[in-house]
Amino acid sequence: MEKRLIRIKVNGDYYELYIKPKKLLVEVLRDELELTGTKRGCNTGSCGACTVLLNGHSVKSCSVLALQADGAEIITVEGLENSGRLSPLQISFLDHGAFQCGFCTPGMLISAVALLRENPNPSEEEIRGGIHGNLCRCTGYNSIVRAIKAVAEGKYREEEK
Amino acid sequence: MIRDFEYLRAGSLPEALDYLARYGERAKILCGGQSLLILMRQGLVQPEFLIDIKGLEELNFVELTAEKGLRLGATTTHRTIEKSPLIKEHFPLLAEMEKNLASIQTRNWGTIGGNLAHADPAGDPAPVLIAMKAKVILQKKEEKRVLELEDFFLDFFETTLAPDELLREIEVPPIPEQTGVYYEKFTILKSDQGIVSVAGLINLDDGLRCREARIVLGGAAPKPLRAKKAEKVLCGEKIDSKLLEKAGEEASRESEPVSDIHASEEYRRYLVKFLVKKIVGRAWAKAKELAENKGG
Amino acid sequence: MRKKYTVINTPIHNIDGVAKITGRAKYTFDIKLPQMLYGKILRSPYPHARILKIDTSRAEKLPGVKAVVTGKDTRGVKQGIWRRYKELCDEEILAREKVRYIGEPVAAVAAVDEDTAEEALDLIDVEYEILPAVFEPIEAIKEGAPQLHENAERNINVTRHIEWGDVDEGFKQSDYVREDWFRCSSQAHVCMETHCAVASFTPEGKLTLWTSTQSHYYIQVLLADMLGLRESDIRVISRYTGGGFGSKFELDSAQFCSALLSMKLRRPVKIVLNREEEFMATKRRTPMFYYLRTGVKKDGRFVAKEARVFTEGGAYTAMGATALYLTGFFQAFPYVWPNYRYDGYRVYTNTEPTSAMRGFGAPQATFCAETQIELIADELGIDSIEIRRKNAMYPGYEVPGQAWIQSCGLRECLDRIEEWIKKRGELPPHRGIGIAAYGFMSGGIFNWFDTPYAFSSALVKINIDGKVDLFVGSQDMGQGSNTTLAMICAEELGVRVEDIRIHMGDTDICPVDLGAWGSRETLMQGNAVKMAAADAKRQILEFAAAKLSPNIVYDLDIKDRWVHLIARPERGLSYFDVVKEAIRGKDGQPIIGRGHYTPHRKGMISPAYSFGVQAVEVEVEQETGKIILHNCVTAHDCGQVINPLGVQGQLEGAIAMAAGYGFTEDLPMDEGKILNPNLVDYKILRAPDMPKTEVMEVETYEPEGPFGAKEAGEGLTNPTAGAVANAVYRAVGVSIKNLPLTAEKVLKAIKEKENKKEDEGRNEGI
Repeated sequence: MEKRLIRIKVNGDYYELYIKPKKLLVEVLRDELELTGTKRGCNTGSCGACTVLLNGHSVKSCSVLALQADGAEIITVEGLENSGRLSPLQISFLDHGAFQCGFCTPGMLISAVALLRENPNPSEEEIRGGIHGNLCRCTGYNSIVRAIKAVAEGKYREEEK
Repeated sequence: MIRDFEYLRAGSLPEALDYLARYGERAKILCGGQSLLILMRQGLVQPEFLIDIKGLEELNFVELTAEKGLRLGATTTHRTIEKSPLIKEHFPLLAEMEKNLASIQTRNWGTIGGNLAHADPAGDPAPVLIAMKAKVILQKKEEKRVLELEDFFLDFFETTLAPDELLREIEVPPIPEQTGVYYEKFTILKSDQGIVSVAGLINLDDGLRCREARIVLGGAAPKPLRAKKAEKVLCGEKIDSKLLEKAGEEASRESEPVSDIHASEEYRRYLVKFLVKKIVGRAWAKAKELAENKGG
Repeated sequence: MRKKYTVINTPIHNIDGVAKITGRAKYTFDIKLPQMLYGKILRSPYPHARILKIDTSRAEKLPGVKAVVTGKDTRGVKQGIWRRYKELCDEEILAREKVRYIGEPVAAVAAVDEDTAEEALDLIDVEYEILPAVFEPIEAIKEGAPQLHENAERNINVTRHIEWGDVDEGFKQSDYVREDWFRCSSQAHVCMETHCAVASFTPEGKLTLWTSTQSHYYIQVLLADMLGLRESDIRVISRYTGGGFGSKFELDSAQFCSALLSMKLRRPVKIVLNREEEFMATKRRTPMFYYLRTGVKKDGRFVAKEARVFTEGGAYTAMGATALYLTGFFQAFPYVWPNYRYDGYRVYTNTEPTSAMRGFGAPQATFCAETQIELIADELGIDSIEIRRKNAMYPGYEVPGQAWIQSCGLRECLDRIEEWIKKRGELPPHRGIGIAAYGFMSGGIFNWFDTPYAFSSALVKINIDGKVDLFVGSQDMGQGSNTTLAMICAEELGVRVEDIRIHMGDTDICPVDLGAWGSRETLMQGNAVKMAAADAKRQILEFAAAKLSPNIVYDLDIKDRWVHLIARPERGLSYFDVVKEAIRGKDGQPIIGRGHYTPHRKGMISPAYSFGVQAVEVEVEQETGKIILHNCVTAHDCGQVINPLGVQGQLEGAIAMAAGYGFTEDLPMDEGKILNPNLVDYKILRAPDMPKTEVMEVETYEPEGPFGAKEAGEGLTNPTAGAVANAVYRAVGVSIKNLPLTAEKVLKAIKEKENKKEDEGRNEGI
């Protein structure tokens, strides 16, 4: 099967890649672009460790063919910082200890970013719903909810400037 | 692992239909891929060609007309339906159902057409749409046909779609006045796949008698099942708790659930009865409320 | 006397935090090396079979395949973690003559990419002679049952016996005796990062292995024996591990097969287990069949307990022997039992081996014990807290012949929970609060691994700019040990956490520590770190004393980079200045401090024990039996809290995992085949399912631990299943004795109770 060309913007940078049609977006990000921040934890689209932003929407990159992302804008965990300055959400995660082994964390952060972009003032129930698609075996989620809530409550406004 | 395939991107609906006509048997439609890619990875499905219709904006729409009611394009994402102000206002149960479907990531990319074509008997949209008397429009290159959604499903993960045919649109007629319609799935963990689910629609006449009852079971048969015997119990009657009990029992009897690691057949039948009573009860109460408040 | 600390018990950022939240942290899952090949493992589809022939020729011919290995390519060593007991080293990993569970490896392939490797598996022809298999311990122990291992008659793998006092006499003296049977289910670890390894063997005869592990030392030693290499010619690297929970300190198939392939090819080989393999072919929590017979006085005083347990061992010993012992030991926790007898039998079965999982036999023990205590309390009309208080362990208690309890905040934990329950007041309908108490070990004293090294060692090196290099052998798998240890080091040395640079996860560089299991890191590695820091500090203080020249009655210390007289803190010097002078004074050599820890004469199990009491509030849907978690409050004693954010995180994570054990997680099997080896059908809690959690620290001081600290992360997994079961009992009056508490089980129990009531009512009418 012939390789196809895709043009994709990832974390602000443009890439042109030749890939086999069956390549998944997560494989292109991790293997071709070596952005290994995004992880994989299952084969059934269940764990959310591969979550990235695609044209502003959170998607599971293991369940999107790379070819379908042709022309799209992708944000991965590596794209959350701004010239090395951590985003408010990332600082909040540090402050609240909202990670332990860290394997689910990149996907979790992306889901949190997507949530807050769409709903800057979510209730606790909405926060939990916002990260429902991301499995974590270490934290029991409550520290993650606290971290997201703190950002939503404006505790990191200074960082946002 | 996913086997190699030939990738065909459809730039328009006619192009997609053309590909289907040419490769039908050897091809599969790819849209959101939230179900298909998993099947391909498990080796259960190994198409030679994938026809990608995700980019078909002409099938990505939510429209409301007075006569036809709601029209949903097949490539409309679950998330669009969940967030649509139109749907929230006129068909709120659809938005509610979508809110509890899978996860946000799945809803952002997965589509209503893909969900229905996948024909998972435990899927959420089918029971709700069938209860609402939805129709589907199926299209091949030279031919279009319209079906009741409940006739679209044949068996576990099997629909009546021909190899050269795709699902293009779903039509949901306007919900008549004095109607209550509800849906609930029984899960152990929140927003999980339902062990059993029930959608119920009750329409009352001015005498508060049940003019129409539609009860649809999910996860209780090889396909979404209309509990017609249970509906008969209610039709033409003034609904009370005794009748609800009878309808629940009837639905439980006519369901065809399996035993698996999540629940025994017995427990599923029990849940059918419980949910039918609950959901139909709510639908009836709502219809009654609307009927009683009519005309001030 | 209350001590005031500068560094410990302050919430700080996890020192690996920035790497983890920016995606910079490279896990084994992410490692990619030049010329690297990808490996896949062929696994047995049968639970019990002899391997007659393996033909790999077709696979070898597939373009892109570089090598195929089978059991014939190994040294034929049977390994096991209980190295001192050769008969318990029974697992070849890559089977040679026989397979004993579905999923056991029989061959491995290395190819240019994963898909080719996977395709090659289909081309390996294995001829099996299927043997009769046995799946339940009660069946496996019968005469004439299929035998898994030659030396294990009636499939009995190990037995354990713990006894003190006179149980039979105790029952005679009891006012009330009851017996109950329980069934504790299995559970999967579900680490987010599956088992994986990248092995690179080079022509110098050295092997480097990147792997996701809880103990790089164990892997190094076990691999050396399996491969016939010198221990120190193997370098194991594991800087970031994506979860362990007990699944990753034994040698696994990814590690062994990738090493074997790499040795053959002299190229790096990467093997990553997929999620299905992770469920089916790693290890899991030990299912147990429990019998408890308990005698008490009518005022609630415990008199005698007899426990008999059969555990489902699965195909190999693994860590199951330890789980067998610990379940019997913790069955008596956290109470004073004047008479106790435990007999445990681990039975081989043709199922996935059962081994260590967070709690290590204690969650099972606690579920059974606490459920029974609740029933006893009810029978005697005694309050749940009161009966526990009456019998609680206390500081200074000696578990006869087994353990000394030094610090013990159990009574206070009970008080705090009692207070919470009172404050909670009347509950909404269909709800109940259940409690469970526990105790757990802070690292084991046993050396069945037969290491000649200290159980934990540490090295501190102070550089000219005052930066401290801390070398530890421990493994941070997410539980936060790096941060905890850096805090201990900073506190002892008198500097700040940002002055510490930790080196972890590389056997070439780091000293030995037995690994992150059995809750040992805080106490054991922590003690070693404290000792090393104290050693370095002593050397600095020598120079400071010379410089300051205080009267001999004064002693010195360092706090927050200030070297000073303790009695006159205003008299001092900057840490940075003293370091410079000390290094000059040592001929330009950096200051090195050494530390180590091995428990000596600390009883049979552990130097120290954590304690706690948990209350869980549940709601039970009467019509469906569904359980909804509302509140989970835990009062716990981990001695001195070192890393408060870490402890809270461990608690909340433990609740999610242990609640899952209580009512949503299970590994149902059919003829040895796991029916739900994926994350759709294996149900773990997600964010919306978590209850509100509250943690109440009960601070004690544990003399055995660094700054008085004990473990926290594992003990907290013990009580929840029992607390949930007790909460259901309080909510709907049914006591369910087999895990998990599915909705269907609860409903069935409710209906049975209703029918019984009806029958009784009817009978009364006669």
